Amino acid sequence: MLFDKIEPLLLNVQKPARYIGGEAGSVMKDKKDVKCRFAFCFPDRYDVGMSNLGMKILYACINNRPEYWCERVFAPDRDFEAAMREHDVPLYALESLEPIRDFDFIGFTVGYELCYTNILNMLDLAGVPLLQKDRGDAIAPIVCAGGSCCCHAEPLADFFDLLFIGEGEELNLEVMDLYTRMKEEGATRQAFLRAAAQIEGVYVPSLYDVSYNADGTIAAVTPKSGAPEKVRKRIVSDFDSVTVPKEFVVPFAEIVHDRAVTEVLRGCIRGCRFCQAGFLYRPFREKSPEVICEQARTLIANTGYEELSLCSLSTSDHSRIEEMMDGLLTFTEDAHINLSLPSLRVDNFSTALMNRIRRVRSSGLTFAPEAGTQRLRDVINKNVTEEELLRTCKIAFQGGQTSVKLYFMMGLPTETDDDIRGIVELAQKVVDSYFEMDERPRGKSVQISCSVATFVPKPFTPFEFHPQDTREMIMHKQKVLEDAVKGHKRIRASWHTPDTSILEAVLARGDRRLSAVLLEAWKRGCVFDAWSEYFRFDLWEEAFAACGLEMEFYASRPRSYDEIFPWDHMDLYIDKEFLIRENEKAKQAVCTPHCRKQCANCGVTKVTKKPCFSYQKEENA
Amino acid sequence: MTPVRATFEKRRRAKYISHLDLMRCMQRAFRRAEVPIWFTEGFNPHAYLMFPLALSLGYESGCECMDFRLDGEMSMQTAMQRLNAVLPEDLQLLHVAAPVRKHTDIAFADYRLCLDCAEGTKAEDLRAAWDAFFAQPEILVEKKTKRGTAMVDLKASAEVLMTQTLEDGLWLKLRMPAGTSVNVNPSLLMDAFTAQLPENIGTGMLHAERLAILCADKTEFV
Repeated sequence: MLFDKIEPLLLNVQKPARYIGGEAGSVMKDKKDVKCRFAFCFPDRYDVGMSNLGMKILYACINNRPEYWCERVFAPDRDFEAAMREHDVPLYALESLEPIRDFDFIGFTVGYELCYTNILNMLDLAGVPLLQKDRGDAIAPIVCAGGSCCCHAEPLADFFDLLFIGEGEELNLEVMDLYTRMKEEGATRQAFLRAAAQIEGVYVPSLYDVSYNADGTIAAVTPKSGAPEKVRKRIVSDFDSVTVPKEFVVPFAEIVHDRAVTEVLRGCIRGCRFCQAGFLYRPFREKSPEVICEQARTLIANTGYEELSLCSLSTSDHSRIEEMMDGLLTFTEDAHINLSLPSLRVDNFSTALMNRIRRVRSSGLTFAPEAGTQRLRDVINKNVTEEELLRTCKIAFQGGQTSVKLYFMMGLPTETDDDIRGIVELAQKVVDSYFEMDERPRGKSVQISCSVATFVPKPFTPFEFHPQDTREMIMHKQKVLEDAVKGHKRIRASWHTPDTSILEAVLARGDRRLSAVLLEAWKRGCVFDAWSEYFRFDLWEEAFAACGLEMEFYASRPRSYDEIFPWDHMDLYIDKEFLIRENEKAKQAVCTPHCRKQCANCGVTKVTKKPCFSYQKEENA
Repeated sequence: MTPVRATFEKRRRAKYISHLDLMRCMQRAFRRAEVPIWFTEGFNPHAYLMFPLALSLGYESGCECMDFRLDGEMSMQTAMQRLNAVLPEDLQLLHVAAPVRKHTDIAFADYRLCLDCAEGTKAEDLRAAWDAFFAQPEILVEKKTKRGTAMVDLKASAEVLMTQTLEDGLWLKLRMPAGTSVNVNPSLLMDAFTAQLPENIGTGMLHAERLAILCADKTEFV
């Protein structure tokens, strides 16, 4: 245990409580009693990682098994990293304070492309060879990853022994079971990986050969040693009864989302064409209000949190939301618990729901129209009309709200300057709707903030074929926005430089040749790319040049329907034909109804062998 | 409603919990333990918890104080048992009693400080350096306060109760002014000392522990 080595470093770094564990709810076991140790690594700082629900779920799943021990690991901030390197402290897990290089599994959760260099940095701090091929025959440690990025993780291919595709609650344990058995039999790393590749949801990148055409596109992806042609994602067998954490590790130090979280539904019925999560997490499944309330109540009792949040892609799409809200409000109000509700949609934001939310302390409303004009909203299949947005804002204003935050994107397919100016026009209509009210709150005035992000085309969406706007195009559109917002004193618009979005686009649709670029970028000092104070686009440009590759090839090149994509050997339940159909409809600005209204034949039912919804009667949205 | 003064310890991993974080940690512990604590009234009711004297980050202690009020039938002893069951092992209540003294009665605190020698430094040299340092007629340092900075004479503030040379370090027992009006952190003295060390003498980690919280008459704050 490294306690004595860590201690002298702690008082010289910011927020040392992040590096010493010991929190309520952290699981301690005796390593003599466990057969398999899993270091669950989050490739960002403690305050970000501790907010992640996926980590809490899988921590509970593994630790529920007495013979397995899952511990937490986060990326140290730069000051502590420097101290660790200076004093030869290897990366350790927060429960046992033991080096993770001695664990059986080093598993990362990867939810964002710009954390890739942190993964390399953490492996390096751990003292584990970065490249999979350098890890030798010994079975441990298996370096693995899961999370949403793993469905298009080719840029990470050289670093990982195996990747978990899809939902991990059951899959992770199956892989650990296999590992424990094979380790006892004295199997090699390679033998284990070949066997693991037979489990549905496991992708072993080293078992696939990739060849390229002269133009740099992929010629073929060829599986070896019996690995499947297509790796199909896993989903849990029954969502309502899947393991959920009964307690969380409750941190001492403040974290980004410091509250109890209950997942209410998984998947999304909407089919917004830009949204990867909306397709990745299909099929749509929801928990019953009874289960949600029971799980929330248990979690509050065991964590002592004063705030409860609901997690989903679109909470208001729960078919029994009002029942659920009544149940939750009954116990949260009695117990002085704040209830927060992210992910509400504009089009079904009813007065009844508003009244329920008004009973909860709220810090302003946020809506995501995503595009400024109806035409462009139809292109992206964001089925929200201007009337619905204005109606909702009016309800919110009447409820006493005076500030509304609107999220938009720029760089969407078919977008013109008029669509950009439409952002400000739409915001102005929201302002106008405020002044049309007879009774306005005195002393306060309305403020609309428009946050405009640069669009990043993602795999498994209908826009996976689209080039991202070039830097010049984005800069031009930002100027158009800046000019349009001038003189509107109740509207604020904000945007970022496009560099991070360009890198995100490159890594999101990259092939495994980018592993070399990642390594080069990290060697040049790239780390914490998601944090603007550390982001060094110039170093990334150098890394690409050193590897003889171009960012434009990955980010802003149109891709044809018959090109083989680096993620085509992943089966996420979504048919490519469906994505092509949707892309063609996007070009015509034709909407697709949401899944409850009509099945769009995305491919999910081919796997699940049953319709996602019963369509006998017209259901309310 | 029963007013309670709990004495708790803060050791090992728990000594890195900052004062602000400690407040949140305890509030959550009360909820987990289902101990009926009195809530403040008003627009934003919150559990009433009071820590009369903050402890510096990194200091251990076996004598920290926390005041709260029990709202209901539960006994103090039961409350303590329930809290200890849900608190981390390095942060545990030691005893509970009805408060006797007022918070403003706090006047001093005793500390044990162990300063390690750096590699190559002998303990007797460190001891000699300390003796010379503390023999100065005054030790003036700048202290940050809410209103800005003020000069403090640490020589006049600190009372050295014991000095001992260890195998690889120096062991001091100090009494410092503490409380709401004047509060002097012993780290100030240690920082001043290490800043004035001769070049050939180096120090390592400081192990600090609060031993007691005292009133003006030097009796324990209870």
